[in-house]
Amino acid sequence: MSASGAAVPATQHRVAPFGKSLDWWGFALFVLSEAWIFLNLVAAYIYLRWLSPASQPMALPHRELLLPSINTAILLGSGVVAHWANTGLDRDDRRRLCGGFIATIVLGLLFLAGQGWEYTHASFTPQSSIYGACFFTLTGLHGLHVAVGAVFLLVLLLRAWGGAFSSEHAFPVQAGTLYWHFVDAVWVVLFTLLYLI
Amino acid sequence: MAATAIATVAPATQSRFLAWVGTTDHKRIGILYLCTTFAFFLIGGIEALLMRLQLAVADNTLLGPDAYNQIFTMHGTTMIFLFMMPVLVGFGNYLVPLMIGARDMAFPRLNMFSYWVLLFGGLFLYASFLAGAAPDTGWFSYAPLTVTTFSPNHNIDFWILGLELLGVSSIAGSINFLTTILCLRAPGMSFGRMPLFVWMTFVTAVLTLLAMPSLSVAAALLFLDRHLGTGFYSAAAGGDPLLWQHLFWSFGHPEVYILILPAFGIISEVVPVFSRKPLFGYYMVAYSGVAIGFLSFTVWAHHMFAVGLPLAAQVFFAASSMTIAVPTAIKIFNWIATMWHGTIRLTAAMHFAIGFIGNFIIGGLSGVMVAVVPFDWQATDSYFVVAHMHYVMFGGSMLAVFAGTYYWFPKITGRRLGEGLGLVHVVLTFFGFNLTFLPMHLLGLMGMPRRVYTYAPDQGWDIINFAETVGAVILGIGVLVFLINVFRSLRGGQRAGNDPWDAWTLEWATTSPPPPWNFITHPPVHSARPLWDAKHPEDPDWKRGRSGSRVGVPHGSEVDGGQPSPPPPGPSYSEGEPTPELPEHTYWPLLLAASLAAVLVGVLVHVALMVAGLVVAVYALLGWLLSERPRTPSPGAGDERGAGTARALPTARTPVSPSREGESVGVGHAPVRSSRPSGSVAVPPNLHTPLSPRPREGPGERGPR
Repeated sequence: MSASGAAVPATQHRVAPFGKSLDWWGFALFVLSEAWIFLNLVAAYIYLRWLSPASQPMALPHRELLLPSINTAILLGSGVVAHWANTGLDRDDRRRLCGGFIATIVLGLLFLAGQGWEYTHASFTPQSSIYGACFFTLTGLHGLHVAVGAVFLLVLLLRAWGGAFSSEHAFPVQAGTLYWHFVDAVWVVLFTLLYLI
Repeated sequence: MAATAIATVAPATQSRFLAWVGTTDHKRIGILYLCTTFAFFLIGGIEALLMRLQLAVADNTLLGPDAYNQIFTMHGTTMIFLFMMPVLVGFGNYLVPLMIGARDMAFPRLNMFSYWVLLFGGLFLYASFLAGAAPDTGWFSYAPLTVTTFSPNHNIDFWILGLELLGVSSIAGSINFLTTILCLRAPGMSFGRMPLFVWMTFVTAVLTLLAMPSLSVAAALLFLDRHLGTGFYSAAAGGDPLLWQHLFWSFGHPEVYILILPAFGIISEVVPVFSRKPLFGYYMVAYSGVAIGFLSFTVWAHHMFAVGLPLAAQVFFAASSMTIAVPTAIKIFNWIATMWHGTIRLTAAMHFAIGFIGNFIIGGLSGVMVAVVPFDWQATDSYFVVAHMHYVMFGGSMLAVFAGTYYWFPKITGRRLGEGLGLVHVVLTFFGFNLTFLPMHLLGLMGMPRRVYTYAPDQGWDIINFAETVGAVILGIGVLVFLINVFRSLRGGQRAGNDPWDAWTLEWATTSPPPPWNFITHPPVHSARPLWDAKHPEDPDWKRGRSGSRVGVPHGSEVDGGQPSPPPPGPSYSEGEPTPELPEHTYWPLLLAASLAAVLVGVLVHVALMVAGLVVAVYALLGWLLSERPRTPSPGAGDERGAGTARALPTARTPVSPSREGESVGVGHAPVRSSRPSGSVAVPPNLHTPLSPRPREGPGERGPR
């Protein structure tokens, strides 16, 4: 067999490591970099709370648990709905996709509303204590991600309404769902660290 | 040739300037990266010279303490964030797609975005001089010096916001590199056959992706401390100034390897080609790079030995820091073993590569010294550390960048750099560099602290400091010689041809400079040296087992009389019918980058500008996403290959007219000489199946895909 010469490619040649497309890799790496931002913030919180030799043990204010627990349930529920919507696209069930995304967005907005209520009724501020600084920074950045995720899903919803996606062309929907799951997962960590422990 | 090829991408109606501004071609973006970063290198070098002039004699008054603080901070910030990191990204941008046989980066628009964000981030940082408030707390900006109490002006805000912008650029770039290397390798180009430069770029991209967030978070918390009144870095408020050091160095130490690993990659390309031997221990060089990348996340606190860490932490970080010397030394031994019994061609590139090995060993050894905790207590924040760092960054990375420039300049421009002036450059650089930095070890041990703007005449540091300043001036003259060489060679340098060095990797299998589409046919890849295989079908690597298992001179043609015979004609895979899959022309990423910079200026100047910037940013983002070119459905459902790759036919947005391309490579409307590259062996028709589902495997092939 000759060592030189090859087929004339009509397009760029692509390989799909682990069966994942180029777009998937790009998006997953983007989510990884976001996850690393949260990881660093969480590490800073853990350091300040338990490891720092300089400060006193972190003073914890009274932490209300009822509303955050409901909020957690809402957000996790929205993740399940988003998953259900996404699997609808696999069967080209675009109504299920749109309905599911509407429900996800509404649940996400409910979560943000609960968060807003919590912010305005908190007994501490970012300036009053180091816990407050950590709390508002972490939950604030997370809330921003929920908002961005909701806009992401909204854009997908509008395009799906116009008939944009199919089981053949599902990547943007998968990306949106992946992002939503990522935001959910971050919340589980934050809820555990900021409220429960 | 260079000029015509460059002009081909632009349509006749478009100015050459706009053709560069709107380009998404990885080669043009690479050139933009290289030129921009070299400009920043010159600025950072001038700052270094200013510092050396200030320190030339005792009690000098050239620079006041405030000016000196700003100059050394901007020197460090510039050289690390605006020169060394992005210049290596520039090399990667130009070379990685060529080396893996791809047409472009995975996300060409994101690539363009990375470049413009870098440029605006650099301009933003330097705008601080116009505001009279350049950052002045050192390139690692330790808290609490940086909180509002001690730094009330905007100096630190410029630094914080500028670095956030540069972080966006780096993270976007590393996502692009990783996806490109994962998904766009030519058929047969398994990980075990990738050029070492691609390997090291891959590891570097992983490091960048996972290290930059630490800096972004550290800087964001500092911004909150300064402007929202939080107390993350204030012990009085329950925070901890050491948190800054932990966050910063958990970025900062991987950063050191972000700056050196691609340099290792460059050396691993240059040394074998100019020793006429395959790289000794390909897999060891690759895996030791991975090991360095992994270990680099476990050593950050060795920058903090003097702050009073717990004993267990000191032991751990000292041990892990010394451990890194092992994979690094493996690489050095591999390069030396590659040269051993080789037929060494002492070009300027090879001179720099050998100089890299020697100087980097010195930097590595002083690195092991400062990993020893008691010694570090003695040497920390003294000129010893300055010497160590510059032996690694200049004696290491910078010399590799020079080596890479001499090596790839012919590919990028079509002309060689002059070897005569190159030799002058080599001599001035080595002499000037060692005269500048070798005495700094001594100065540090004599007790001179870094970052002092002057010293008294009776401290005994005069002569050494003066000698160092002389060395720095010589170094500067060397850079001038290099610049003269570049401009002379661009005009009248020796024509390079496709493959001036008789090299083995795929970037040499296309024209110099390469056409916009890089390759028309997939170059066949059966080993780590695909071009060797193509030139020597009687003795290909894949029949001999893994590269590096061979010792001695592989072929006799170049040893007679020391006069190298002309390289055998290599095949070119860039000729044939061009397809309409060409780099796109767009301005959306540029608009997004500019609006992000405007947001940051607005943060410092007026909230209205910030809001306006945000609005434009959203507009630009939407424009970017919605103007995505139509994607053709993949040939088979669920088959990733080919999905979305076929670009639309040239439209108003794809500024290429086939007739103009034809002028540069002799295809298209120009008289077609042959539909097949003349140098290539005739291929049986059954090999012409487009989009073959599996890469063809050579006999005796092994190694995972």
